[in-house]
Amino acid sequence: MFVAPIDRIRAGLSILPALLLCVGTVGSVAAADLPPLSHRLTVIEEPAPAPPLRLEDIDGVEHDLADLKGRLVLVNFWATWCPPCRREMPSMERLYRQFKERGLTVLAVDVGEDMDTVFAFTGQLDPAPTFPLLLDTNSQAAQDWGVKGLPTSFVVDPEGRVIIRAVGGTELDDAAVVEQVVPYLPKP
Amino acid sequence: MRFSHQTGPNGPQSCRLSVRHTAAAVAVATVLAGPPSSAEPVRIDPETGAATFEIQAHGVSLSLTQLLPDQVRAFYVARGFDLDDADVFAGACVYMTVLRNDTTPGTLDFRLSDWEVQHNEEVHPLPPLDDWLAQWTARGVPDSARLAFRWAQFPSEQSYAPGEWNQGMLATGLPPGSRFDLIARWMIADQTYEGRLDDVRCTD
Repeated sequence: MFVAPIDRIRAGLSILPALLLCVGTVGSVAAADLPPLSHRLTVIEEPAPAPPLRLEDIDGVEHDLADLKGRLVLVNFWATWCPPCRREMPSMERLYRQFKERGLTVLAVDVGEDMDTVFAFTGQLDPAPTFPLLLDTNSQAAQDWGVKGLPTSFVVDPEGRVIIRAVGGTELDDAAVVEQVVPYLPKP
Repeated sequence: MRFSHQTGPNGPQSCRLSVRHTAAAVAVATVLAGPPSSAEPVRIDPETGAATFEIQAHGVSLSLTQLLPDQVRAFYVARGFDLDDADVFAGACVYMTVLRNDTTPGTLDFRLSDWEVQHNEEVHPLPPLDDWLAQWTARGVPDSARLAFRWAQFPSEQSYAPGEWNQGMLATGLPPGSRFDLIARWMIADQTYEGRLDDVRCTD
């Protein structure tokens, strides 16, 4: 099992579930009351090889991280019911659109849900995700990557090493975050 | 409301925030709150009446917002629990919990097994995640529902670099109507820190 080297790091059935966890979608909870998204990533001082990741997306297409050597890959573990996951997803799409031509790939790994649930959720997002939404239906991948809470994101460099981590919802296209990611994009 | 800060060379760093009445809390905080920690205002959801209790101490923020039994019940029934099974958890005083490393000088580590609730002058550990999962297995809760339960909980242990945080459910195991103190503990560079939320109410 992959364990992030934290010591080396430096830097009613429709509305009631929403009330329970998805406070961001309920009008009675003001935006100011929501926990703020983070605006920084955690750089891992001594990067380790990324664990394997080979899963199907919601269209049944298999994606293998091993095939993405040479690209910078953002691996995001999330779930539709997770409020910070929902809140950071549009910023992840904006980041992807900004840098996909320069070699950024995003793999959003839904933990523990089925295709219908994830597919229905994507229609609620603006902008809607254009990156692959993978299904980790038994949460084995999340466990293999040492994920303890959702959302958790990792950045895998073109050599296949985990170089950056983010635990908790993050504004992934924030200028400070972009500044951390850009240096690792593949060289033209 | 009581707000004090204690520092010792070897003992835990402790910051205490007691909330008994919202109005009184805000008023007294104005007088007694001071650096290095300050109390966040308590929020009350206008529709549900659920209160948020918050503390910021030693570069760390912690908040609890009660999830009312109907809300908890609905969430888990929607994810495959029978009503009877969902009722068991809904009746355990569940809070949406947020812990964030705002500005500590190093990595923060915690284990929920180090946290306690003080209720009726007795101190109790929080019910462990594994105990809940074992109970759901024994009750025949479907695998997918148990998986949803596991990931919806506040992590049993975690490490946060500055800026990192989690949000999840935390059950005290106390009956609805209880009032309790939550004692949270975390480690930074081999030093134990403690944050207390006193007199938290669990509305039934």
